[in-house]
Formats: sequence, structure tokens, C-alpha cells
Amino acid sequence: MEVSVIGNPQTRLCRAELAYRELGFRFGSVVISGESRNKVTFLSQSSNFKDLSIRCSSRSVKCEAVVSDGVPFLKSTPNSRWLASVKLFVGLPLDTVSDCNNVNHLKAITAGLKALKLLGVEGIELPIFWGVVEKEASGKYDWSGYLAVAEIVKKVGLKLHASLSFHGSKNPGIGLPDWVEKIGEAEPGVYFTDRYGQQYKECLSFAVDDVPVLDGKTPMEVCRGFCESFKSVFSDYMGNTITGITLGLGPDGELRYPSHQHDVKRSGAGEFQCYDKHMLSALKGYAESTGNPLWGLGGPHDAPAYDQQPHSSSFFSDGGSWESQYGDFFLSWYSSLLTSHADRVLSVASSAFSGIGVPLCGKLPLLHQWNKLRSQPSELTAGFYSPNGQDRYEAIVEIFAKNSCRMIIPGMDLSDEHQSPESLSSPESLLAHLKTSCKKQRVVVSGQNSSAPVPGAFERIVENLKDENAGIDLFTYQRMGALFFSPEHFHAFTVFVRNLRQFELTSDDQAAEVETKTVNIGSGSGAPSLQTA
Amino acid sequence: MSTVPIESLLHHSHLRHNSRTCRGTRSFSPCSLNLRSRFTSSNKLLVLNSSIGSATSALGFRSSKSVVIRASSSDTAVVETSQSESDDVVFKENFSVQRVEKAEGKIYVRLKQVKENDWELSVGCSIPGKWILHWGVSYVGDTGSEWDQPPEDMRPPGSFAIKDYAIETPLEKLSEGDFEVNINLNLESSVAALSFVLKDVETGAWYQHKGRDFKVPLVDDIPDNGNLIGAKKGFGTIGQLSNIPLKQEKSGVEVEKESKSAPDSTIERKGLQEFYEEMPISKRVADDNSVSVTARKCPETSKNIVSIETDLPGDVTVHWGVCKNGSKRWEIPSEPYPEETSLFKNKALRTRLQRKEDGTGSFGLFSLDGKLEGLCFVLKLNENTWLNYRGEDFYVPFLTSSSSPVETEAAQVSEHTPKTDKEVSASAFTDEIITEIRNLAIDISHHKNQKTNVKEVQENILQEIEKLAAEAYSIFRSTTPTFTEESILESEDEKPEIKISSGTGSGFEILCQGFNWESHKSGRWYLELQEKAKELASLGFTVLWLPPPTESVSPEGYMPKDLYNLNSRYGTIDELKDTVRKFHKVGIRVLGDAVLNHRCAHFKNQNGVWNLFGGRLNWDDRAVVADDPHFQGRGNKSSGDNFHAAPNIDHSQDFVRKDIKEWLCWMREEVGYDGWRLDFVRGFWGGYVKDYMDASKPYFAVGEYWDSLSYTYGEMDYNQDAHRQRIVDWINATSGAAGAFDVTTKGILHAALQKCEYWRLSDPKGKPPGVVGWWPSRAVTFIENHDTGSTQGHWRFPEGKEMQGYAYILTHPGTPAVFFDHIFSDYHSEIASLLSLRNRQKLHCRSEVNIDKSERDVYAAIIDDKVAMKIGPGHYEPPNGSKNWFVAVEGRDYKVWESS
Repeated sequence: MEVSVIGNPQTRLCRAELAYRELGFRFGSVVISGESRNKVTFLSQSSNFKDLSIRCSSRSVKCEAVVSDGVPFLKSTPNSRWLASVKLFVGLPLDTVSDCNNVNHLKAITAGLKALKLLGVEGIELPIFWGVVEKEASGKYDWSGYLAVAEIVKKVGLKLHASLSFHGSKNPGIGLPDWVEKIGEAEPGVYFTDRYGQQYKECLSFAVDDVPVLDGKTPMEVCRGFCESFKSVFSDYMGNTITGITLGLGPDGELRYPSHQHDVKRSGAGEFQCYDKHMLSALKGYAESTGNPLWGLGGPHDAPAYDQQPHSSSFFSDGGSWESQYGDFFLSWYSSLLTSHADRVLSVASSAFSGIGVPLCGKLPLLHQWNKLRSQPSELTAGFYSPNGQDRYEAIVEIFAKNSCRMIIPGMDLSDEHQSPESLSSPESLLAHLKTSCKKQRVVVSGQNSSAPVPGAFERIVENLKDENAGIDLFTYQRMGALFFSPEHFHAFTVFVRNLRQFELTSDDQAAEVETKTVNIGSGSGAPSLQTA
Repeated sequence: MSTVPIESLLHHSHLRHNSRTCRGTRSFSPCSLNLRSRFTSSNKLLVLNSSIGSATSALGFRSSKSVVIRASSSDTAVVETSQSESDDVVFKENFSVQRVEKAEGKIYVRLKQVKENDWELSVGCSIPGKWILHWGVSYVGDTGSEWDQPPEDMRPPGSFAIKDYAIETPLEKLSEGDFEVNINLNLESSVAALSFVLKDVETGAWYQHKGRDFKVPLVDDIPDNGNLIGAKKGFGTIGQLSNIPLKQEKSGVEVEKESKSAPDSTIERKGLQEFYEEMPISKRVADDNSVSVTARKCPETSKNIVSIETDLPGDVTVHWGVCKNGSKRWEIPSEPYPEETSLFKNKALRTRLQRKEDGTGSFGLFSLDGKLEGLCFVLKLNENTWLNYRGEDFYVPFLTSSSSPVETEAAQVSEHTPKTDKEVSASAFTDEIITEIRNLAIDISHHKNQKTNVKEVQENILQEIEKLAAEAYSIFRSTTPTFTEESILESEDEKPEIKISSGTGSGFEILCQGFNWESHKSGRWYLELQEKAKELASLGFTVLWLPPPTESVSPEGYMPKDLYNLNSRYGTIDELKDTVRKFHKVGIRVLGDAVLNHRCAHFKNQNGVWNLFGGRLNWDDRAVVADDPHFQGRGNKSSGDNFHAAPNIDHSQDFVRKDIKEWLCWMREEVGYDGWRLDFVRGFWGGYVKDYMDASKPYFAVGEYWDSLSYTYGEMDYNQDAHRQRIVDWINATSGAAGAFDVTTKGILHAALQKCEYWRLSDPKGKPPGVVGWWPSRAVTFIENHDTGSTQGHWRFPEGKEMQGYAYILTHPGTPAVFFDHIFSDYHSEIASLLSLRNRQKLHCRSEVNIDKSERDVYAAIIDDKVAMKIGPGHYEPPNGSKNWFVAVEGRDYKVWESS
């Protein structure tokens, strides 16, 4: 590209430019503070804090643009008081600790944590993998990598939320412990299996929870040992640095069957994962006990395949098998295993961690695909069902309530308008439903975003958090990494944080706060006088 | 093996001025400069900061002490061959280590009077390296652009012109070790000032002066932006400008002419004085070293003897342990230990390697029990520098039976502390944080006492956050898998052959650039072009690229003003629409030339700066990037390079993107354009382009990502991977939604044809060396365009060899683009034959190319097994096999065959 005539004069008044900037933004600040007076838009009630936030946002120009554009979440509404009290966590990379117990990208994490601390983020979520800690042999724990991370987090002054993960992860390639995988080779029945015999090797089947398949121990006993070891090794951090523990309840930590196995496209509604040896024998027993032995020979024959549209076969269609007596039989049994699995894990954990004063959490999936179909097939294959069209989540929420466990719900960044119409999906309505279910039984909800970036995510998250009725007081943003710190994304994240809360200084600057207050009071409230400050 | 160096992210370096004294004064205090490597996006804060002059240095970014080292092992084969070499060698590996060190030195600027009216300006640098002076001048009376091309007689030999605003001149090595360039100032021209930055070719870093260009004033009315060099004491009072009335209206050329006729009457240079100034700088210098490790089994003692040898300078300490029982856990072996060994925290041994007598490095021998399974170690170079193997310990296995070959991709060395040292590092790190936060607190209370604005503190924190995030980003990014050739090929393979995507069109496209630099002159270009529609179609073109259609400050259209006004020097909007219709009728799709990087303003702001827009898109200064001080934008920092002549648009603003998307869609609908040629895409992030492509759904799109190839002392380097990587990175950022002009291929063709160096046309892997070798479907190959050739001739293809160029691009994969001037020239019939051959043989953008010969004087390749070609004076005949080759097209120094 070439230019032959260059006709744009410019001046070189660099100081004048600066003055102009200040003027412009003062003007903005007055307007905003006038609007929001007594409404307390930002965290603090002191007027100078309001000022502070506006000042810093005017520096980061993106923020200012948001101010003047009047994007919804900057408008002062009564809800924002609640918004400001939401605690914000950020997840560390899944491969923070490698499977040889090394801390990966230590330096990057260090710098990142410092940045987040300064930004005013409350804490950090750390995924702790069973396959890393208890890698070599049953009962042989090596926490060194995670301890090192905890120490860093503590020193930076952030809180830590530990996610105990009893599943493996294809990406970044952390599996179940080596000794468990060895057992799995000899005894494939420990893994979830679909009707084609494909196994899901990242998580043990719910049917073996109480079967002594792991060197004579049941998975629940192993889980208890893991929790107790964690509790004693990290005892110095409990309650001060560690302010939350999440129990992995299934594939990817979520309470569900791996109904899609590794099908990343998720074009269909998933398939039933009830074909491992233990599941099949449980099903057989249940069928016999209910007097329908023929129903216990396998799962539904007419359920669609992974890549098929759910309504393309008769199982999930309106009036299809799922609504029949057989459907009720099968789905009740299938979902009861999920419910009892949740109960087992949460009971084990709540007894193991009793008395340490750290809240426990469990994560649910947000199965929003196909939920405009009456059968809501994604929920059914993942194990959520209740007869007669009652609330499918009620039993699960009850278990959470019983164990005083908080519930983490992901997908708070998803909005209906960005879903493809073909998927017949409505994340917003499902989320609303879940929130109501939890509220009914007084289960506290924490939020997460879905891990893949989606358009309009931050606006949607704020919308969700603003809803005071839902009472979401903690949100974990997933997840730190190259993308997270890329200039485009980090800018957007910074804006998000500042809109969520006041820009907080470190605790040492309380004095400074008082001082500026007097400056402001002394100078009155008009724009011109502020200029002299 | 491709590694992305961390340095590449830090290539924007800035010099920051710390002194407060010069603010607002006319005198110059000695400059103290502080060089920092910075992430690009911090530009804006930086600029602000330098004008505030706040005491942020206390919070300094501690980049200076970090030493980043990368090592890569030389070859996998070494491991495999080792056993045959000698029976008792159980392990042998050579790791090459790239060590990056900070070198300190100075930049100096000297103005010297040789004789009357003959002055010489020297710019030099004391750090060794490939330095290039990137410079331009401003003429008396210039108000628009900061930079212009200097008159011919001022350009030292070996200079290259960069478009029409700058010159690049390499610095030459002096006998005393400094690097220097001398510019003879022609004071009879109306040059008012000379601006420059120093560019480090190896790292791509730019060295600026206080965040701006260095500027040497040659007349006395240059406004002081704080970046002037040289004493100004001698200059007279301000106001001399009035001596040159009415000059602003004229272009630089005219002024020059005029001033030559009356050299002394208008320009006030009496104050010009000799001066010499020095500024300290530092840069990262890479050194190549290696570490070789050999393990032998001593048959007599059945001990394992490990020798570690390195040419790394200075003390090298091996921090080691041994492995037993199949675990890679570090254990302490039994004594005796080698000399100079100490126990470290009961976890490891530390042995200092002995210096070699000739001073070229150090070595050490470790004799270990034969039952051990292996040796783990890391190397410690100094307190902060550890050398490890791709983030893990080096591991030397002893068991010959275990066939586990050591992964040999790349050993990575970083400050990253090894496992055994974790506690130490954690506490050191903690201290650092505590100090930093304390510093912040102290700063805050300090400010409180002074009753200064809290804003400054806030800003410090914000800056700190940004720096930390940038640091985290650079490390994360460098450790996540980089873009590799294989991954593209794989994804390419999955795609069906004919699938329309905006990056490739159908895959069988041939572009015609339908204008040159003079096309605007007639005022009726659209009409003239229409008449050629049938001819272009019959030649076999499928896509036509039209000139930029919008109202523009420059007649050629590249300085757009009102985007919705499509009446230009090329014709009216109706003529344009009619032209598009005519071409559609003959089956040619039409690309619009979209200038999205910058836009000329309609109005001045209150400071008199042109940065407010009018027309349907009446944006204000929030739409202008903040890091170009000339235009005082209030947007975010630019996500790419800045184009100096007009306000650069801030694409990170949602309203800007929304408006641009609407505009593109409007152009699609209203004019009927099928796609885009995107101007100066270096200026903004490729991700935005993806956004625009998604919104406007073009049939075909191609971006102009044009930067300089790499040269060593004026000679083009053989390996241009860095250059094509930058283009591929851009395409990748667009998610492949747009192709890019293959500037690399053009550059390499220049060198190959001009100097008869046809060996350049095959890369080390035996593939084409340009973008077309890596990502053929997204490469738009060309040999000339309106900038490089035509009447501008900024980078003209070697004259007389154009047909060799076309024989290459029209037979090779990629999407070829033919320049208008060449079609309607003596080459017409030869080009026509090549076009018809390409269409007849159905060569396409993903065709497979097998290079048969690439020697000094001939290059030959076979494409898709059905077309053979050679260029160069040397002899070549396609192999006689089952195929029967006959000559299809032939011309001077090229020949193309088809198989029957």
C-alpha cells in the first residue's frame, strides 16, 4: 500500500494531550458519580473509591469506552451491590503439575498470580489429579508439586480452591494412576463402557464404587485415603489459604456419565454407558427384583448413536420409549446409580474433612444441548431423570444439601442467542432451573464458565452473577494459560474484573484512602476543583 | 523442529527517559536512557508514563537479570548410531545450547562539519550485531508526515527504500569494533530534520529514543517533543518559520526543487553545530554453545563413566543425583565423589566442572557404580541460570538393554528452577513478591505524604499488572505447542479438494491485479477496465482485484476518508457497480481493496490534531490507536504495526468492528464485490480479520502482510523461515479465513534470478522456501504489484526475468496473481500460454511439487506428476520414465513441459 500525498497535519503537543485526557475523564467521572450517588455502584461506600475506579478505568481506555457505551453491566442498578461481593477465582492450567510432579511453567504462573493478585482476584483454583499424586502405588502419595504451588499461592496472598480430581484428562494427558490403569487392563470392567464395547478410561464406573477392585480396596476407600492424606499434608493451609475443596464426581470432575465418551463434536445426545460388567449385573439384579428379568439384559435397543440426531430414533421422540414403562424402569435405575455415587463421594468427603471449616463443593454439568426437546435426551444419557416429569435435579440437590455441599454450575457464560438453532439448546433456561432447584433446598451455588471461549461471555457472566436471588457468591474463571494472558483476552478480563468489583489496593493502603478522601472533600464535588488534586 | 523463541515476543524495545529535568526546558540535560524489552501492548502506558515521569523505576520490570537459554539437541541419529560406534558407550548426546545474554553498550550520534555546507551525521552502536538504521527525513514545511524519503544523494550505498517513507541502511563495522553509518547531509535540500530508529536485524528489536524516534534537527524550528538529539543552544529564536511563506501547500519534491534554485534564502541553518551524544543501550545477544554427554561402561571395573563436556564460558556446576530401581527420583550415590563436589541439602550433589586448559570451556568425569540405572542432572551457570532439558532434568540412562531413546527434540533451559531446588526458589520468589508489594505500599504512602494524586499509584499497579500478564503470556505461549507445518498439512488433507473457503476460493483461482499506480490518472479507469473483461476471462483469470474504491486523500485510494463515499478517481459508484456486473457476466469474481488499517480524519480535535471522523462513520478519537503520538488517539494500543501517515484504526473497539463489518457487508451487497484484498494487515491483529471475514463471508480474501526479509550485510539470507513464519502466523490468526501475499517467495525469486543463485529455491526440507512451501493453499504468489513495480518501483522484480517468475508461480501451488502491467505488455502471449497450461492441467493451490533440481544455475520441479518446469540458464530435461514429456511453453531461461 502506498501513499503519494500525505495531508494530515499533526501537532506535537504532548503535554497538552495529557491535560486533555484528564479533563475528559474528569467530566466522565462527575457524570457517573452523580448518577450513582447513594446507589453504591462499586464496592465501597466512600465516594473516593468511586473516583478511583473511574480514574483507573479511564486509563485503560477500553474501560472508558465501556462507560460511555453504557454496556448493561456498568449501569448502576441495585443489584450491583451484590455483584461487588462475588468472590472471583481463576483456575490454574490443568497441567500445572506434571505427572512427574514437576511444576510446569512455574515462572509464568508466578507472574500470572502476581498480576491477578494486583488486579484484585480473590483466589486460585488448583486441579489436583489422583493420577499425579497417587501415581505409583496404592497409598503412596506424592504431594510435592501441589505443595509447591500452594506455597506460592499462599505467599502471593491469594486464596486456594483445591479440586480433587479422580478422573483423568486427555488434554493435557494425565490419566488415572498407573497402578489403576494396570488393574484396568486386567479387569476392563472397571471402566464405563458403551454398547459397542468402547471403554472410557478416564474415570472408573459408578458400579464399582463399593466393589473391592483396587488391590482389595473399593474406589470409595481409596478416595477416603486420598482425602485424608490431602487433609493432613495440607493441614497448615486449611482454612487460611485453602478456602474450598471440590470433589471430583465423575468425568471431567462433573457429576454425570461420560455419555459422549470422547466425541468432541457432541452432535448427538450421547449414549448410555451401562455396558460394563458390573453395570450389567446390577441392571440384571434390578430387573429381576422388579419382576421384569427380560429388561435386564442390556440398555435400550432403540437409543440413537453418538452422531445421530436424538429424535431420529424412537427412544427419545415424543411418546417414545423413554416415556414407556420400560423407559421409566431403565432410566430410574440408570439415574439412581448417579445419585448414589454422588452420595457416596460426598459422604466420604464430608466425614474426611469434617471439622476443618472448609466448605466442600461438587460440580454439575450444564446439559443444555437438546433441552428444548421434551425428553431432554442429553440429561437422560448423562444420568439425570425423574419419573412423571418431576424435577430431574431434585434428588441430586438433596444429596448436596444433606452433605452441606456447595454446587458448582458451569456454563455461566453461555447465552441462548449464540447457540446454533439446530442444537435446540437453551443454556439460560437450564441454568435458571438449576438455580431455582438449589435455592429451594438452600444449596449455595458457585459459578464457572465453560472452558472454551464463547462470544459475549463476560457480559453473560455478569448478568448471571447480578441475579441476587440466585445468591452466587463465588465465580471461578477457567482457565489460566496462553490464551488467558493474550493481550486481547487479558484486556477483556481486566475490564470484567473491574466491572465486577472495585479496583482494590493492597491492604496496606488504607491510610492512603483516608488521605485522598480529605482531598476530595476539601475540593468539593465539582469537576474544576478536582483538577487541582 | 520449530521452537518459538521467547524473545520474539519482546522485540519491541523502548528507550525510556527517566530524567525529569528536560521537561519544558529548551536545554538538554545529559540523557539517561533505560532500555527495556517490553511486550508490544504496553506501548500506550509507556508513552503516558514517560510524560508523567513518575517514579515507577522502583517497580521495575526485572527483565534485566533474566537469562534465557534454549538448547536443542543436534540430531536424533546420534543416539541410534552410538552403539555401533563403540561397544562400551551406552549413551552419547550432544545438546546445542543457545544462550541469551544481555550485552551493554551505547548508541552514539555525531554531527560533524566536513566543510562548509557539507555536514556528516554518524550513528553508531558499540554492541556487535546486524544493525540497520531505519530512517527518514522531514522537509521544511512538511506538516503532514513525520517521515519522508531523503534525497537520493543523501542515501549511503547499500540503502534500501522502505515504501516511500523510510530508508534502511545497514551499519558497517569499524576497525575499533563499533558499528557505524555515515550520512552526508545535503544542506542544500530542504531537509529540516532527520528521524531514525535503530533496528536489530537478528532479534527484530527496534531501539527508540524515549519511546519515540530519534530526531536530529537540522533547522531551528523543529518542535521539541523531547526526542530531539543534539544541542540546540546555537539555534536562534523561534519564529523563523515565517521566513518561508506558503510552503505548506507544496509537496516535498517541489520544495526541494525550489530550494535548490535558491538555496540560502529560505532555510535558516545558521545555528547548526557539531555535537556528539551517547546513550547507553543493552541488547540480548545469543551465543551458541553445546553440552555433550557421553556415558561409557568400563569393562574392567564395571563402572559407568560419564563425561560431561561443554564450551559454556565461566563456572559450570553440575547439580546431580543418581537413579535406582526404575524411578527417576534423585538419590545420593555412595562416595567417592569427583573433585569439587559438595552435598546440597541432602538431595543432590554439586560438582563444579573443571576448566579446560585452553580456556574454551569445562569438563567433568563421573565414575559411578555399575548397578545404577542412570544419572540425573541439571547445569547451573550462575545464581539465576539453570540449564535443564525441556523443563525436565537431563537423564543419562546406563542400562544398555533399555532401548529407551532420549527424546531429542529440544532441550530447554530457563531460569526455571529444577525440582530439587524447589524450596529455595519458592522462598526467593516469595521475597521478591513481598518486596514488590511492599514497594507498592511504600510508593503509596510516599505519594500520600506528598499529597499527590492516587491516580499515579493506580497507574503503577496497572502497569505492573500489564507487565506481569505480558510476561506470563510470553512464557505460556512459548511452551504451548507452536504452529508446525505438519499440523497444517494434516488439516489440509482432511478437507475435500474443492471446497469454497474465503482463504482459497475454489482452490483453482488465478488472480489478476486490475490496476497500476497510474490508473487513477484518466479518471475513468472502471470504464477502461470493463472493455478488457472479455479478454481477461478468455485468458483464464477467475478473480479480479480492483483498486480501493473509497474517497481518499491520495488519488490512488490508499488514504481513505469517507468509507461510504465510493466516488473516487477511478470512477463513480455507478461505474464501479457496472464494472463489477460486467465482470460477473464473464465469470470473473471481483475483489475490493479494503483499507482497514487507517483512515484519514475529517476534523481536528481541540489540539489541532486530525483525529475526528465525519461521514456516515463519524467516529471520534476513541477509534484511533493510542500508541501513535502523532494522532493522539484515545483507543487501545495498536494490535499490530503502525502506519505512520494516517490515524490507525483501533480494531479492538467494538463499535469500530461493528461499523467495519456493516461496511463490508454493504460493499458486498451494494457493489457486488465477491471478496477482499486487505491492505496493510500488519497493522492489526489477524483475529479481527477473521471476525470481518466471518461477517462478510467473502468468496476469496487475501491480505497484504509485507515486511522485510532477512539480510546479512546486504545479502539475502538463504533461510527465510522467520519471514514466512510471520506471514503464516498472521494467516493462522485469521484461522485461515484469508490468504496472504507470498512476499517471501517474491523476495527469494529476486535473489535467485538476479544473482543466478537458483539453489535458493529449495528449502532444507526440499520444499519451496516461501509461504507456498508451508501453507500453499493460503499463499497468494505474485511477482509484482502497484507498490513494488509500476511507476513506484519500490522493490522491482529483476528486469527482463519476469517470465521466469511467472513460469514459477503459474506452475506452482498457491494462488498466483498476475500484475496488470505484465498482461498488457510484450509478455502477453507467454503469460497467456502459462495461464492456459495451468487451467488445462488443473493445477491448483494445493498441487504437489517435487523439486528435481536446485543448483546454481537451474531450478526444476515436477508438479502433480503432470507438469515439469525449469528456470535458469542451466540444462534440465524431465526424467525419461513411463511418461512422455513434451514442451508446452518455452522462453528465455525457462521451459515448461506437460506429460501426455
